[in-house]
Amino acid sequence: MTSITFTLIVSAIIFALGTMGVLLRRNPLVQFMSIELMLNAVNLAFISFSGTLGTSEGQIFVLMVLTVAAAEAVVGLAIIVALFRRRRRIDVDDIHAMEG
Amino acid sequence: MEQVILVILGVLAVASAVGVVFMPNAVYSAMMLLLNLVSLATLFLLLHAQFMFAAQLLIYAGAILVLFLFVVTLLNPEGENVFKDSKQLQKAGAFTGGIILGIILVGSLIYAFTGGPQFDFAAAQPSPAQPYAYGSVEAFGMGLFTQFLLPFELTALVLLVALIGAVVLGKRR
Repeated sequence: MTSITFTLIVSAIIFALGTMGVLLRRNPLVQFMSIELMLNAVNLAFISFSGTLGTSEGQIFVLMVLTVAAAEAVVGLAIIVALFRRRRRIDVDDIHAMEG
Repeated sequence: MEQVILVILGVLAVASAVGVVFMPNAVYSAMMLLLNLVSLATLFLLLHAQFMFAAQLLIYAGAILVLFLFVVTLLNPEGENVFKDSKQLQKAGAFTGGIILGIILVGSLIYAFTGGPQFDFAAAQPSPAQPYAYGSVEAFGMGLFTQFLLPFELTALVLLVALIGAVVLGKRR
């Protein structure tokens, strides 16, 4: 088995685990961590292909993904903190509507 | 030797991903995420992506994870044990969905690498004089500031929007 096959399979397993985490957990913080897992799995796939094809484009894509992940984490955590201020409890089942 | 380290890191990454999903306490989940990020960063180094190794450690493990831990300890959510959950249907659906997705992804990968016509990766490799030059900071910077200059500049806009959004959401009313 070559290294790209192995890293791509690792990436696929981590992506599936991240999906399971988003569906399974009720705590939005852990759901966010699962989303980060999925983003990282995709990053690993990009880097594997970049290494195997011998080009650096894949790494540039990973940098973009990193930027979007940072922005998403900041805005998402700000929303969670704002929700906590309103309700004193964080559980995604309680959030039925987004009130202004 | 390199193969052995690759397999160890891959197993560590998958095990810590399982930890993130199933740990009852959010702080433990964050710690498992840290382990996952560090093992993935080391995998990047093994795949000769030196700059991405440093960026992964600095941005993910250094900045994003600290932000996560800060919010987790600030809000202190009550723990949840996914194995003692009352919502059986939701739990079963999540398990089946995740496992089916994993089987589809891994199965299609194995099919792509064993059956059918194969892509010749060896022919796509660069000149043997500098076999791993694509991972260097020099090659990365050349690509980023010539071919991908516009997307690179647009990331500044994305970060600005995130910054303004965080300030607006964090403001007390």
